[in-house]
Parts: sequence; structure tokens; C-alpha cells
Amino acid sequence: MAQGLSAGEILNIVRLTLFVSGLATLLAFLLALPVAFFLYFRHFPGRKIIISLINTGMGLPPVVVGLMVALFLWRSGPLGSLKLMYTPAAMVIAQIILAWPIIAGLSLAAFEQVNPELLLQARALGASRFQLALTLGREARLGEISGIIAAFGAVISEVGAVMMVGGNIKGQTRVLTTAILQETRIGNFHLALLLALILLAISLAINLMLTSWQQKGLRTWPRPSWK
Amino acid sequence: MASPELEIKNLCHYYHGKKILDIPYFQVSQGECLVIIGPNGAGKSTLLRIASLLEKPAEGEIFFRGTKVTAQNELAFRRRLVYLLDRPLFFRGKVKDNLLYGLKIRGVSKKEQAERLEEISELFHLHSLLESEPQELSAGEKQRVNLARALIIKPDLLLLDEPFASLDLNLKDEIMAEFQAIRKKRAQTTVMVTHNREEAFFLAERLAVLIAGEIKQTGPPEEILSLPHSVEIASLLGHESLVEGSVVGQQNGLLQVAAGSNYIYAFGSAERGEKVKVVFRPEEVILAEEKPQTSVRNWFYGQVVEIKPMDRMVFVSLDCGFRLKACLTKTALEELKVAPGKSFWAGVKASSLSARLSTAKKAEKDSDEN
Repeated sequence: MAQGLSAGEILNIVRLTLFVSGLATLLAFLLALPVAFFLYFRHFPGRKIIISLINTGMGLPPVVVGLMVALFLWRSGPLGSLKLMYTPAAMVIAQIILAWPIIAGLSLAAFEQVNPELLLQARALGASRFQLALTLGREARLGEISGIIAAFGAVISEVGAVMMVGGNIKGQTRVLTTAILQETRIGNFHLALLLALILLAISLAINLMLTSWQQKGLRTWPRPSWK
Repeated sequence: MASPELEIKNLCHYYHGKKILDIPYFQVSQGECLVIIGPNGAGKSTLLRIASLLEKPAEGEIFFRGTKVTAQNELAFRRRLVYLLDRPLFFRGKVKDNLLYGLKIRGVSKKEQAERLEEISELFHLHSLLESEPQELSAGEKQRVNLARALIIKPDLLLLDEPFASLDLNLKDEIMAEFQAIRKKRAQTTVMVTHNREEAFFLAERLAVLIAGEIKQTGPPEEILSLPHSVEIASLLGHESLVEGSVVGQQNGLLQVAAGSNYIYAFGSAERGEKVKVVFRPEEVILAEEKPQTSVRNWFYGQVVEIKPMDRMVFVSLDCGFRLKACLTKTALEELKVAPGKSFWAGVKASSLSARLSTAKKAEKDSDEN
């Protein structure tokens, strides 16, 4: 077995990784959907600018986000009194900021793809505002799940933000990416490679789950042949 | 007369600053089938969307059974009606899910959902389609599912935008007849817009002519056809003669229809005793001084009441117990010496006539209302 970390310690790292990235993706989804609905249904001046900002946010550098969150959570910063710096909570916050624009942007794009006349028909069959949003959400499910997949993939593999606001404290804020970084830095390539494989395996497993959810009930009528 | 289900007062609506609807008063009675006919761009769909509470009119008020629609009660009223767009659009999921959409939205219990699904599948022959995806269906099946998902709700008011426009002729006949039978059975209050004259003649109990955003004439189709208020209306509705009668005999699909003292032979599917409408196209009516020996089944004797020249043709109206228009060339008119007061035999082949169930009389409310 690789030296440096016990099996129990590795398991803890895996658990924390899943907890931080999973919770961040879930919360980002819940925070992104209302905004995407709002941007879909309401047309106001500045709407395009907001959408552009969200689209830009899809490629935010994790270190920059880490820096911003650190500035806020630092002991002398505006939210310093919450004492969140170097805790899993700080890592979740940073990853929400990374995941949110991806989910909001891709969901909005998926909404725009839905035939607006279908929504008119939903209203004409008696849908309230809330039911109309639910219908839209269901019609755009494919794109929304793509957003979740992309966001989860981005946050579970990033190292900059979790490193800066989590601090890679052993047993407290060490996740797979920061552990790989650490082990590589001290020349412990075997362990680093093992952790890397675990990270990839987790990514694959989660994506298999999300993809089968995404493709479930997908239209199965014959598609045009590829010739 | 039944009280109004829907009333619209002082309606004005604009599009890009141009007035597209100007209707001082418009009403739909409970249980009736009102067809709004008009050329493309007359504002038919806009009127329908305003009546469906999907679009707010620039000016005007809408009342349902005497209660004014406001921002507060709008959703409740919207749930008492169903509006179907001019082409069937379906939600993700199976046919079954699409049929149940309106009921789920209204919070109808699971038990009642199942009962109504069963009932509507029976009426529209949908049992074999319930588990399919709507995209797999043919055009006719799609339209049947579309109508079924509206009627399953049993709305107080059903509003249809060109429901049969996308169907080919045979299919149109079949689905129109199916819809007609159910509509009649349930005394379903219906407003339908169309630019198709035949659809309008057969389905309408009352016809409203909408031209350039204004309702120019309303009344039973027979009345508007025989006495159009203007040349505009006459040319929109054409010169067909519409005759109503009851089926007294039937053989090999050929119906014998009694209309006044005449018998009309026409093709159609109806039972003995049922009321039907028959449309005569003036181009297919021939005139003769003596009744000739021919294979033509329909001969009516009548007096010329009106002669109207139009382009190269002349329209001659005869009173044969009902009003019948024939279209002649000017030469034929001169050769036959057609003049008002003179009587002629008018002949029409049975194969060029079709009879369809009419809804004008006896709307039977029966068991499935309870």
C-alpha cells in the first residue's frame, strides 16, 4: 500500500471531496434555476448584459474565485467574524460560485431552445405561473442536466479555490485534488497516482449516474441515419 | 335562448400601432358552436387568444357568465376554458401524460383522472396509442389526441384555432364527424375559427364573419349564405347553397334526405332520423326546362328569384322550397331565356353532394354530463 496515508485517511478525503463538490453543485443548481427562469420570462433592459456576465462566469479561474472568497472570509474581512476560513463551508461557498454560472447559463440556453408555442399551449390548458415554470423545466431537462454534469466536473477537478480557502488541512479540508498536489510536491508519485485514479473513477461513476438520468425517457423514435 | 357563456365588450386591439380588432360586442351562448370565419389576417387568432385570456386586449372587458375577468380571478377563469393552437404541440412524455396534463394542473384526483382517461380514450379510439410518444403518431392521430386532451377537461368553453386545417380531406371528414358527435353529445360550448367554408358550414350553429378586425355579420350559416349583408361577405362565403334536412332512408352510403317537400340524395354517414346538412356547389347545378331522363338523382323544380351576373358567369337563384344557386355561362342564360318568375328544373348528381351531421337542432344532454 502506498505510504503516507492510511486507507481510512483516503476514505475520509474521498468522502469530503464528494460532500463539498456534491453540496456545492446541488446548492448552485437551486440558486441558478430561479435566476434562469427569471431571465427567461422577464425581458428588461440590461438582460443581455447579465446573460453575458453569466456566460463569462462559466470560465472563471478557480484561483481568482478562491482569492475573492478569501478576501471576504479573512479574519479582518467583511465576513471574517463568521470564522469560515479554512473550513469545508468556505470550500463549498467557493465551489458554488464556480458552479452557479455554468448551471444558470446552460439552463437558460436550454430554456430558450423550448418552443415558446408549447408554453403558450400549456397556459391555454390552464397552467399557472409556477406550473408553467415546472413545465419549462421538464421540457429543458436535457440541457439542465448537462449544466449539472459540467458544473460538477468543473468543481470536483479544481484545485485553486479549495486550496486557497480550505488550506489543505489534513483530516479537515484536504480533498482529492489538493491531496494529489501535496503528494506530488513531496515526490510521493505512487500515492498521487492512486489518488488521481480514485478521482477519475469517482468522476466516471457520478457521470454515469447523471447521464442515465439525463437520457431516461428520451425520445426514442427513429433518428435519421448517418450515411 | 341560453345565457351567454362569454361576452366581450368594447374590444379594441392594436398591433404595431395599427388597429387590428374593433368589436363593440361579442358573445358566445352556453352550449352553442360558434364559428368565426374570415380571410387570413382578419384577426381571428388574436380574437381567440383574447377570448382565451392569453393575450390582454388594449381596450375592452371580458365577462364569463356575467362576471368580469380581472387580474385576480384570471387564472380561475382560464382554467374553465381550453384553447388549442392551430397545430398540435405536445409535451415530453407519452400520449397518456399529454392527455392528463390539463387534469393534473387542475389538481383532479388520481381516481377521476383514470376514469376520464378511460372515457376519452373510448370516445377518440386512443387505447392503442396511450403508451406511445406523440412524435410517433400520424397527423390524424395527433389531432385526435390534441382534441382529446382538451375535451378530457370538460371545459365550460372550448376555443379551437383552425383545428382541421392540417388534415387531408378524408381524415378531415372522419375527425370532424368524430368531434361533431362528441361536441353534440356533451353540448360543449365551442368557438372555432377557420378560413375554410365547408368546415364553417358544417360545424357552425352560428357563424360570425370577421373581416379586417370587425364582425360584419352573425347568424345561422343558412341565413348568412342566402342573405349576406355585403358583397365582401358573399365573396368570402362563396355561393354554395346550404340545406338542412333529416335522413329518411339509406342505401349503400347514399342517403335520402327529406328537406321540405323535396328529397335530396347525397353521400354521407348518418342514421335514419338524424339531421344533416347538404352543401350544393353552384358550378355543379344544371338547369333544364323539362325534366330530362338522365342518371342524375336530384331534380328540383323552382322559380327563378334572383339573377346575379359576376365576372363571366351568372348566378341564378331558384326557390325550390329551399334556395338553390346555379352558376351558368352567359350564353346558357340567353339560350334558356332565364328570367325572374320563370320556373326550371335544377339537377345535381348525388355523387357531387355530401351530407354531414348537423348540430343545429336537438342538442341532447345525456348521461355523461352527470
